Amino acid sequence: MKLYCLSGHPTLPCNVLKFKSTTIMLDCGLDTTAALYFLPLPLVHSPRLSKLPGWVSKDGAINLEKELKECSGRVFVDSQPEFCLPEKELLDLSTIDVILISNYHCMMALPYITEHTGFTGTVYATEPTLQIGRLLMEELVTFMERVPKAHAATCWKNKEIQRLLPGPLKDAVDVWSWRKCYSMQEVNSALSKVQLVGYSQKVELFGAVQVTPLSSGYSLGSSNWIIQSHYEKVSYVSGSSLLTTHPQPMEQSSLKNSDVLILTGLTQIPTANPDGMLGEFCSNLAMTIRAGGNVLVPCYSSGVIYDLLECLYQFMDSANLGTTPFYFISPVANSSLEFSQIFAEWLCQNKQSKVYLPEPPFPHAELIQTNKLKHYPSIHGDFSSEFRQPCVVFTGHPSLRFGDVVHFMELWGKSSLNTIIFTEPDFSYLDALAPYQPLAMKCVYCPIDTRLNFHQVSKLLKDIQPLHVVCPEPYTQPPPAQPHRSDLMLELQPPPMAYRRCSVLGLPFRRRYERIHLLPELARSLVPSEIKAGVSVATVSAVLQSKDNKHVLQPVPKPAPVPPSKKRKRVMEEPPEVLNPKPLLSGAVPLEPFLAMLHKNGITEVKVEETADGHILHLQTEDVLIQLEEDATHIICDNNEPLRTALRDLVLRFLQKL
Amino acid sequence: MMDSECLSLLPAVCLVLADPKQSPPDDTSLEKLLDWFKALHSQSNGQVLLQHQPCLLEFISSVCTSKTTDPAILSFTLNLTGLLAATTQGFHLLDEGGLLACVFEREAWGVCDLWEDASVRSGWLQGLLNMLKHQQALDFMCGNGLIKVILQLQNDRSLFVACLANQLLVHILNFLTSSNMTNESDVVGSSESSLRPDCVLVSSEIMNAVVEVLSSEDHPQVLQGLRLLSLVLSQCGEPIRSTLWKDVLVPLEVLVNRGSESLIQTLITVLEAAVRTPLLSQSEHKVEELLEAMLGDGNRKECFQCAALIVKLEKCPEVLKRKAMDIIMFPLQCVSTQPQAEKEINVVLKEQLSQKASCISLLMQSLSSLAQLAHAKYLFEDISIHSITSSVVLLLRMCSGHCPSSLLHINTFTHLIGCCKVQRCGLDTLGALSVYEENLDLRMNVFGVLLDYLQSPDSHATVLKKTFQAVKRWIVCSPFPDLLQFISHDLFPVLEKRMCDLRWEVRDSTLEFITQLTAALNDNSGFTEALHTSGMVSVLLSSLADAEGYVRASAVAAVREAVTASFHQTVLVSNSKLLEEALVQMMAILSQDTEGFPRRAVVQTFTSWLKGSHLVTALESSLSSVLSLGGNDFDWEVKMHTLELAEVLMEKTLTCCPYAVQNFGSSEETRFTQALIKFKDFGLFDLLFNSLFDCDRPVCERACALLVKLRTLTAETADLDHSVLVLNVCGNRWGDEVQRRYLNKQQAKASVCVTNGVTGSDDGMDCGLYCIKDISLPKILQILDLDDMQRMLMLSSDHVVNSPRSLMEDILSAAQQSEENIVDCY
Repeated sequence: MKLYCLSGHPTLPCNVLKFKSTTIMLDCGLDTTAALYFLPLPLVHSPRLSKLPGWVSKDGAINLEKELKECSGRVFVDSQPEFCLPEKELLDLSTIDVILISNYHCMMALPYITEHTGFTGTVYATEPTLQIGRLLMEELVTFMERVPKAHAATCWKNKEIQRLLPGPLKDAVDVWSWRKCYSMQEVNSALSKVQLVGYSQKVELFGAVQVTPLSSGYSLGSSNWIIQSHYEKVSYVSGSSLLTTHPQPMEQSSLKNSDVLILTGLTQIPTANPDGMLGEFCSNLAMTIRAGGNVLVPCYSSGVIYDLLECLYQFMDSANLGTTPFYFISPVANSSLEFSQIFAEWLCQNKQSKVYLPEPPFPHAELIQTNKLKHYPSIHGDFSSEFRQPCVVFTGHPSLRFGDVVHFMELWGKSSLNTIIFTEPDFSYLDALAPYQPLAMKCVYCPIDTRLNFHQVSKLLKDIQPLHVVCPEPYTQPPPAQPHRSDLMLELQPPPMAYRRCSVLGLPFRRRYERIHLLPELARSLVPSEIKAGVSVATVSAVLQSKDNKHVLQPVPKPAPVPPSKKRKRVMEEPPEVLNPKPLLSGAVPLEPFLAMLHKNGITEVKVEETADGHILHLQTEDVLIQLEEDATHIICDNNEPLRTALRDLVLRFLQKL
Repeated sequence: MMDSECLSLLPAVCLVLADPKQSPPDDTSLEKLLDWFKALHSQSNGQVLLQHQPCLLEFISSVCTSKTTDPAILSFTLNLTGLLAATTQGFHLLDEGGLLACVFEREAWGVCDLWEDASVRSGWLQGLLNMLKHQQALDFMCGNGLIKVILQLQNDRSLFVACLANQLLVHILNFLTSSNMTNESDVVGSSESSLRPDCVLVSSEIMNAVVEVLSSEDHPQVLQGLRLLSLVLSQCGEPIRSTLWKDVLVPLEVLVNRGSESLIQTLITVLEAAVRTPLLSQSEHKVEELLEAMLGDGNRKECFQCAALIVKLEKCPEVLKRKAMDIIMFPLQCVSTQPQAEKEINVVLKEQLSQKASCISLLMQSLSSLAQLAHAKYLFEDISIHSITSSVVLLLRMCSGHCPSSLLHINTFTHLIGCCKVQRCGLDTLGALSVYEENLDLRMNVFGVLLDYLQSPDSHATVLKKTFQAVKRWIVCSPFPDLLQFISHDLFPVLEKRMCDLRWEVRDSTLEFITQLTAALNDNSGFTEALHTSGMVSVLLSSLADAEGYVRASAVAAVREAVTASFHQTVLVSNSKLLEEALVQMMAILSQDTEGFPRRAVVQTFTSWLKGSHLVTALESSLSSVLSLGGNDFDWEVKMHTLELAEVLMEKTLTCCPYAVQNFGSSEETRFTQALIKFKDFGLFDLLFNSLFDCDRPVCERACALLVKLRTLTAETADLDHSVLVLNVCGNRWGDEVQRRYLNKQQAKASVCVTNGVTGSDDGMDCGLYCIKDISLPKILQILDLDDMQRMLMLSSDHVVNSPRSLMEDILSAAQQSEENIVDCY
């Protein structure tokens, strides 16, 4: 059993598990942080961005004016943003049988894996994961395609040149493997390979293993997976949450008794407690609105935004901000808000019960009804005529490199009355803000990450007791910025196996058993004999048939009656001759009674010698040696066959026959 | 009068109680009955009661001899007998017929097994405790060997009984030393010889028992012995105290040195009691030595508890205190100082610090002891206050996840991150440490950590509250000019954010903090100016519309202080505008707010403003609405506060009379009349009279008191012009009541006239029988029998239900009902 690690990112995993005869990919997350090296894509022409000076090396030797632009002392690539893909060279992606998706954030690289690689397998995901994942991909594609760039910058990637570049660009790794965004056609083709599954549904893979998604409590339809054969169990935990937010709570008990637990997707901000951050979010928002400023919340169009809207729904009235409008701007805003209301069975109990009243499970329906929340596909069109300030705008993309958020950064960045509140933990907010410097607007960092923290995970592991834990390397040491926080790492016994990008781990357990079925007629013919209390043994003669990873013992076919034909058949075609097998012996030969028995049979001169494994009996008159050992008995008797037979029979008297 | 009625019911009650067929009344009824007997006993003497109520003797004997007595009734009887025998006469009456022996010797009871019931044993002890008021009682107890039984009961399995037994033993010892028991001739000496010989016998029986128990190996017995010892130390005088102490010293030393963990707490209680006695100062009594032995070398678990005790002691030898200080400071220093102190850390401490629960409790003990010392402004000698304060600051930083100075304590460190208990305790201590001037240069450090706590999104609401308290203490005691920068640049923005917090508790404590700070610094022009220029005031005003009632109430208080402060600093231009805006919003709260707290706060605000001298004229226009809204509120506390406002208004007006035009030569009387006219304009009389007939008793009581005051004043002012102050009594509730009373009085007068045969046209008569509209104030005050009303209002509202008479009636009727029920069953 082996694990191939195609991504080292702890929360955007992409691992391949080879288990029995199957090859299973676990998630395929797309690391979009590479976009931070690129200039933002403005929706509306930005004089500021277009006037940025190009970069030329100090000695003038390298001139990349067209590809690289300088902004506040940092250099950015002026091209369509690219992303860092999972490793494609570690193994042949066409050999992958299935891909298991745990949540919609962890499937964004799917088109890169399923298209143009020869992949012929199936992707398994829950319905909300598929639908919301599709929305996120669609949004990403729209963001990119709306602002096409004529040229793709590639010169800077040249190793010799990159080495000489300033700042973070110089240190960017694997830049040649970065790819630009996929197309909608590729998205559709990739998603057509998805087969929907429900929680606790058992899916057989080639009869060899069974995979089951379990609720993980992190997002709508998010799941952990159990991959098990008859005698082995691997659990895959990715992006789970124990907090009471909108999704169904996490199912923990089914994770018990795992041989291996692959643990990914813990919180990215272990020091920030989501409740505190939510409070921080609300108070900063209220302060800004009271002072007459606008609030910009760069966020994904699904997930935490539902909780934010719910929290604000209650908070705004209590803070006397009832009239402030909220705008949600995304190409998929409408679908996201509506989808959330229809996946009732995937929601927490509290929200599910609302559906029976019937009421919409999320209060944003009411916000929309009362015109407090308005959503638009883009800043163009209706929005520009209905827009009223001060207001709160939720829009993407959280990297601030593409999407409508770029426009608001240009629009509001100059006033210190406005505030940008970062709630998504995926990007460093300082890096995200870099191309907008100098910036007058206030910045607040309230990352809300509801995934498991180290305290919760160590409690969980204590509870479910897996034999071995495999996790990304960063989880095995304290965060680099806080080396003293030994509470922010996994401390387990035995220590967890850590992986990084391109690791291949041999998982530490050997398969020892396989289940084989006996056909009833064969079973009926068995004659069990009890060898000790509760244990019976029988000999079996049968034919083993293996098909579709299932093994069946069948009775040996009877020899066909000899046909009257005189023609001789070919020897090979004759069924094997069935001999009655010799009985199997069991038991031990006790020394004293055996000596007595020998004596009775006239053998009196016996010299007994004790050895490490038993005894050697020397029958001096007959010059015969009998070695009595724990698992073997030898009679060494030259040229006296009758004596040997007699002695053998004496030994056999003490043994049981099967 | 009441008692005699009850006494007439007593025989019937006794019959019911003694009737084994009746189920006994509940415990509280019996307790109340005993209370009544006690009250009766303290008024008269037992002899009278027993002589006049022979039913009691019958009751007692029948209960004791009955074969089917209920334990509750027996316990009650034991208690009662003790009470009745507390006087010598009562004792003799009971003793004559041998009844006393029958009661207190359990072999004489109808059912011996009842002794097994804990309530009976407790009643037995209580009875003896009640009885032990005279020599005969003691003789009775000694003569019948009851002391031995009491000593046995000390180890009773019921804790209540054991505790009571200890109390009784202490009572006996005390009784022995009381003046009537000692030899008058030899009072001066305080040795055992001053006790009478028979007393010596009793006391030594008890003391020997204590010594024996303390030397025993039986753990629960030792525990009880120690408990008795600490009771004796704290409750008995000489010579008992020192005699017993001398006797127990040896076994006590053994126990202390053995250091058994489960005895520690009790041993400490004993030493605590000993320390509070003069024994401490007498070296032969070795109290100090014992304390020192308890401390040991600081390498035992219990030494921290003991050190915490010693540190708290007021009269304690300095050497010992310093040693205890060292021990108590150890955990704190250990966690928060540089590694060089490391080598001194003992093993036990290290182990305790590595476990979460013990680590937290040790640190909290350390911190709270420190806070206590700081409150008393203790002078630390061995350790500089500077380093202590730094340690506390460091510890607080560690609690919020900052790196400790030495990585050696990494284990302890992880226990502390986010630990609210240690945070709260540490903040308290830090606040207390603000009293030391030596800390002045650490101020910015301290404010730094406090600000971190205020800013941290993870700070718990209770932690924030403690932080606010600490900030206030440090601000108030620091020299001001340097602080202004901190307050306006660092503190105010955080407060502004906290006033938008999701948790109402946080918004509330932030406002409370601002209120306290403003009140504490209201003579500080710099602060007041910062408050106004930083925009804090407008944030406060917007908090008046908070969604949570408690927060609105706190916002009202904060605005009140801001306005008060601004009027202290007359230089500010914005005052009148602020007051105007505040008044508009507060009146809106008083008239519309759905919750009581904010409305109460508004009325209190007016009271507070009125008490101050600056604002009186500015408030005049609002006062009448406040009085009428507050008086008609449906929350009784708002009404109470409104009456308080009325009282302040009356006091202010009558003493300095700011409203009256101060004509030269205007007499006291005219001024008084003018004041009354003013009151009438404010609607003060409407308020008072309405409140007098309010449905809430405290409101009526308060209004009544104010009216009585007013009546006294009007009576004192001889030539008051009645015609000036005529009130319309028609069309309101209080007016109708006044009219009714007026008519009643007139009718009574008329009937007297008729019986006296007086006819004729008395004009008072004629108009009296008709409804009148206007009555003068003095007349109204006269018509209302205020004194009688006040007397009635003073009685608590349940005085009828709670009387012994109703208790007895209840017992009787319950018995009757149960009889009826039995009949019904057939």
